[in-house]
Amino acid sequence: MGISNTNITEKIDLIIARHGTTVDAVIPILQDIQAEFNYLPEPALKRVCDITDISPARISGISTFYNQFRQRPAGRHRIRVCTGTACHVKGALFVYEAFRREMKLEEGEDTDASLIFTIEKAACLGCCTLAPVVRIDEVTYGHVKPDSVGDLLHDFLSKMKEAPSDIYQDNSPQSAFQGEIRIGLGSCCVASGSYEVKAELERTLAQAKIRVDVQQVGCVGICNLVPIMEILKPGELPAYYAKIKPEEVKEVLLSHFKPEGKYNRLRNGFYNLFEKLLANGAPKSFRKYMGEQRDTPLSKFLGPQVNIATENRGVINPIDIQGYRQAGGFGSLKKCLSEMTPQQVVDEIRESGLRGRGGAGFPTGLKWQLVKDQDVPEKFVICNGDEGDPGAFMDRMLLESYPFRIIEGMLIAGYATGAAHGIFYIRAEYPLAVMRISEAIRICRENGILGTSILNSGFSFDVSVFKGAGAFVCGEETALIASMEGNRGLPRMRPPYPAFRGFRGQPTLINNTETLSLVPWILHHGAIAFSKIGTSGSKGTKVFALAGKVKRGGLIEVPMGITIRQIVEEIGGGIAGDRQFKAVQIGGPSGGCLPASAADMQIDFEALKAAGTMMGSGGLIVLDESDCMVDIACYFLSFTQNQSCGRCTFCRIGTRRMLEILTKIRSGKGTDEDLNTLESLAVSTTRGSLCGLGKTAPNPVLTTLHYFRAEYESHLRGQCPAGKCLPLIHYEVTEECIGCTKCAQRCPSDAITFKPYEVHSIDLEKCIKCDICRQICPVNAITVR
Amino acid sequence: MPLRFVNMIKLTIDHIPVEVQEGITVMEAAATLGISIPSMCFHPGFSNHPSCMVCIVKDTARDNFVPSCALPVSEGMNILTGTEEVRKARKEALELLLSDHIGDCEAPCRLSCPAFMDIPLMNRLIATGDFHQALHIVREEIALPLILGYICPAPCEKACKRKPIDAAVSICLLKRATAQYQDRADSIVPDLIKGNGKRVAIVGTGPAGLSAAFWLLRTGHACVLFDQHEKAGGALRYSISEERLPKEMLDAEINTIRDMGAEFHLNIPINKDFFQHEILSGFDAVILATGNLTSTLADAFGIQPDSTGSFINKRDFTTSLAGVFACGNIIREQKMAVHSVAQGKMAAMQVGVYLGTSVGKMEQDESDNAANMQADREARNRNPVSMTGHLFEQEWAEYMKDSIPDPRLEPMGGILEGFTREEAMHEAKRCLHCDCRKPVSCKLRLYAGEYGANRKRYAGSERKRLTRSINHEQVVYETEKCIRCGLCVEITEKHGEMIGLTFAGRGFDVHIAVPFNETVREALTVTAWECVEACPTGALAYKTKEERDK
Repeated sequence: MGISNTNITEKIDLIIARHGTTVDAVIPILQDIQAEFNYLPEPALKRVCDITDISPARISGISTFYNQFRQRPAGRHRIRVCTGTACHVKGALFVYEAFRREMKLEEGEDTDASLIFTIEKAACLGCCTLAPVVRIDEVTYGHVKPDSVGDLLHDFLSKMKEAPSDIYQDNSPQSAFQGEIRIGLGSCCVASGSYEVKAELERTLAQAKIRVDVQQVGCVGICNLVPIMEILKPGELPAYYAKIKPEEVKEVLLSHFKPEGKYNRLRNGFYNLFEKLLANGAPKSFRKYMGEQRDTPLSKFLGPQVNIATENRGVINPIDIQGYRQAGGFGSLKKCLSEMTPQQVVDEIRESGLRGRGGAGFPTGLKWQLVKDQDVPEKFVICNGDEGDPGAFMDRMLLESYPFRIIEGMLIAGYATGAAHGIFYIRAEYPLAVMRISEAIRICRENGILGTSILNSGFSFDVSVFKGAGAFVCGEETALIASMEGNRGLPRMRPPYPAFRGFRGQPTLINNTETLSLVPWILHHGAIAFSKIGTSGSKGTKVFALAGKVKRGGLIEVPMGITIRQIVEEIGGGIAGDRQFKAVQIGGPSGGCLPASAADMQIDFEALKAAGTMMGSGGLIVLDESDCMVDIACYFLSFTQNQSCGRCTFCRIGTRRMLEILTKIRSGKGTDEDLNTLESLAVSTTRGSLCGLGKTAPNPVLTTLHYFRAEYESHLRGQCPAGKCLPLIHYEVTEECIGCTKCAQRCPSDAITFKPYEVHSIDLEKCIKCDICRQICPVNAITVR
Repeated sequence: MPLRFVNMIKLTIDHIPVEVQEGITVMEAAATLGISIPSMCFHPGFSNHPSCMVCIVKDTARDNFVPSCALPVSEGMNILTGTEEVRKARKEALELLLSDHIGDCEAPCRLSCPAFMDIPLMNRLIATGDFHQALHIVREEIALPLILGYICPAPCEKACKRKPIDAAVSICLLKRATAQYQDRADSIVPDLIKGNGKRVAIVGTGPAGLSAAFWLLRTGHACVLFDQHEKAGGALRYSISEERLPKEMLDAEINTIRDMGAEFHLNIPINKDFFQHEILSGFDAVILATGNLTSTLADAFGIQPDSTGSFINKRDFTTSLAGVFACGNIIREQKMAVHSVAQGKMAAMQVGVYLGTSVGKMEQDESDNAANMQADREARNRNPVSMTGHLFEQEWAEYMKDSIPDPRLEPMGGILEGFTREEAMHEAKRCLHCDCRKPVSCKLRLYAGEYGANRKRYAGSERKRLTRSINHEQVVYETEKCIRCGLCVEITEKHGEMIGLTFAGRGFDVHIAVPFNETVREALTVTAWECVEACPTGALAYKTKEERDK
């Protein structure tokens, strides 16, 4: 690489000037170096050591710990294949392997020879309903098929060549607004093309001189129907257009709004187009639902939900402070500052029964009380937004969509506990969340919501943002603090708990993003109102990312106490296709799998724990009969095993050995003894690990062993009943084959011998089990045995 | 300043109520009761970040397992430190650590030697020209190095890790060389400790009898050897040809034993009468090393079979007669003389236990169980907790760092002549130093032995590749012996090493590395001593020190 050393020196010195020379600046400095060079060149790191307090040992230790940092040059474009749970069950690994083949990568390589693309697996891109999902730089592709990855790369490169088109905007304030259009711009909406829809919308509005207020709103949660556009017009029921495409925008728009008279010619042009479309009877991909209409998929999806953390979902613009205020925002803060003592606030939270939404469910009021009771001048409040579970993106959605609400929650927590500093810990992989929160912080400062003497109360509080560098273990509070202090993200022994000795040795309140976002509602409506929702031990609501084999996935907020069956069948609309509901995976890698027979269980911290799983941060993946439970256990364990900090023996080595045994079982070579060793090691690892990651990592194994032991035993006999474990399956062509040669043309290993119009056959020696033939066959003539 | 009272905490450890200062750890609290808890990663004065989990205890008040080295005491704890459940948890931690610990406690040559002779150490001493000390090391286990140097089939050489690389080290001839190249004539006769007044009769003068005599004489006993043949040597003299073992050599080594003070009573048929009157009544103890013991003979001596029909206890070499022991082929027909030599030593040690005349480590074991404890210790040494197995080809270079690339040397003067002094020194340098440099202070070996940890229990599907860094003047660093406790990282940081050591990577792949691909020499400029002392395993070790102290 042609980077000269003087060049590096200058750039590094600028970066250090931004972040300072203390050891706790190491992560921000490395993040900037990585942004500058696409990796961490060694001369750059040495320069940092030369002019800061950061030692070679520290910088090496940090740069090899976090996922974000690279030691080798990366390609110009970054391909991230989502391997979140929903994508996993929909064949993400086939896609990943297909990219690697396309890029001609050897084992251990992640970048193609011409340094164009670098490929990596992403824990979750948060577009579960579009699974399998791939993101190249900022472009997201949904429903990716292994046989189309080559086309996809070409498509991406050709788009790169196009100059971004300017959007013509008309800002003349001449006529009255005819209505309002809301369009969701959460990450998943964007991934499904909502920016394109919005661009088309603005272009059409401008050309037709239609005066409509276009509101960008946060995640609407109805991820299964995105992009979704809502049209509000005085005197009409709200209309929702689901799965709308840019080319359909004009038509929809003109069916609601009339262009201005003097643009008749233009209008006529549109009408003509509209007429033509109608006359042609061209199939429309979008679906229209009217608000308050019953029995639509939309109303069923939204019906059982209760919106507290996601209050005003799909209504307010995330960074419109006026909108937030009009909807009652900052009212709770005002109430606290003007009418309540800090102890009263703590009491209110305690009486509400709120428990931490990060997974373990520690009583929030008690945590606040502990921090409040520390008689020291400096305390901190940290919002834990280091979400990293595969298949969970609640925190990201909340941060992106409701930044003011979370800031308000944090301010209330600061007031109650006597802290003056707040820190948002958000992983750098969530750029939109970081941007929205940073923007919201700036707006709050301008409006006197942050800073000295907030709302003239005498209470001062300010916040900053720390970008996590990508380590799942940093969700553990002591590891999170370690990383903020410029260390490797290693959890430490508790006690002392952060409430006593936390960030910089000071009492520190660490609350999950969702927990903080519930706080303003509780203060507004009162503890009793909150505690009326839910079960005896678990109050309020919980946000889940519902995905997998349900008809309707998305982000949902449901009252505690709702049954799993209600979620799967009512909200999710049941299992897609004609398959059987088999299990749900709750709580991500720390949680476990519950069989369909346990679906009447209520969502409740204790009930889930008793069943061997846990609330976790809220992934809820529905599995059907085609999912192999050994594969699922292996999938989650390989995630935690990879994310272990490597500090304590049971987690570092125990999870690895468990994974090896699972791999052996999946290859049909397992024995009864292996199953026993697996089980006993799972129990020992739960018992002997230092932090929550290790203690809960065996849960997916233990629950599947408990509920689906027969499936493990089948594997010992060399059979994978669901046909998922590659070493135990092979592909075959059935008599249904029509001899179309499609599969043979696409087979990457030339394993399919064919004569046109005759039944093909697969050479098992050559077959690499990439699944392409099965997916491409027009008559489902490829089976897995 | 206001007076500060130290808060006291009440808790129970192993059912004993105790009151200790707030802030101390469970491990420290246990120590006040004299309860010691094992730990590998704990080091006084350091950050106390638990990682090895060997110090795990159970708090029944909270029904959880906790690392005692880091957990502060709290009111109402009910700690159990030694229950079966706790011991099992520790054993599992040790087994997991062992499954990821790539290295050999003992070299494979030593393990395959029936006498468990410290071959690598002998090699290193020869390589430096210290034949005197080398002979001493050999005779710690093998009383007859010269004789065995001719006739031993050398199972050690079949196990040598150098064998697949080019050819095994010529161990057998090197052992012979230790007896051949002594600077002073009298240096052949080892130092003896002061006589203890006990007299031991040894019946039979083959390899087992001679070996037993050698050990008993060294430890201060008077020995009389009886043999029905005209000359001493037993099977060594009468079953092995002159071409394999020159009689001159046999005589020389027998003479050494004679010079140590042994009396040889030859040409005496050992019958019932002689045994009863001359041997049993005239000596404090007897060792039978007659090569065989027929039931007629046993009956004649008055030895009764045990419940299994055996006349001799193979574990402690006792017979039904108090003070009468047996060893050598009398126990089982041996193909290799080295087996008999090994048993001669073990039988002699049992005699020491019986007579209360044990020396060295044996003295400490005064309980009735001394013999069993000794047997356990032997067994433990011979079943080391860590073994690597064969080397992968890419590891050869790592091991060759401690060696020379030259091919196996054949003696210029032929096999019967053996190595010259210089040839021996050169050949000895071919040794790869497979054995651990911290055989005594390695805590993993210590605790894994104590807890009976099985290295194979959690053996991974494929072991990591070992590396060896030797460029530091005093220190060897072997990454894959490390348990990732990080003490060295902290030490180098504390002393402000410019380069120092760091953790690299994460999870299972985490390892200790030198930043920016520098070497250990650059990393440890002033902290080598402290790091080696703190390292709980052989990952960081001195190149030479510990074996000298052994």
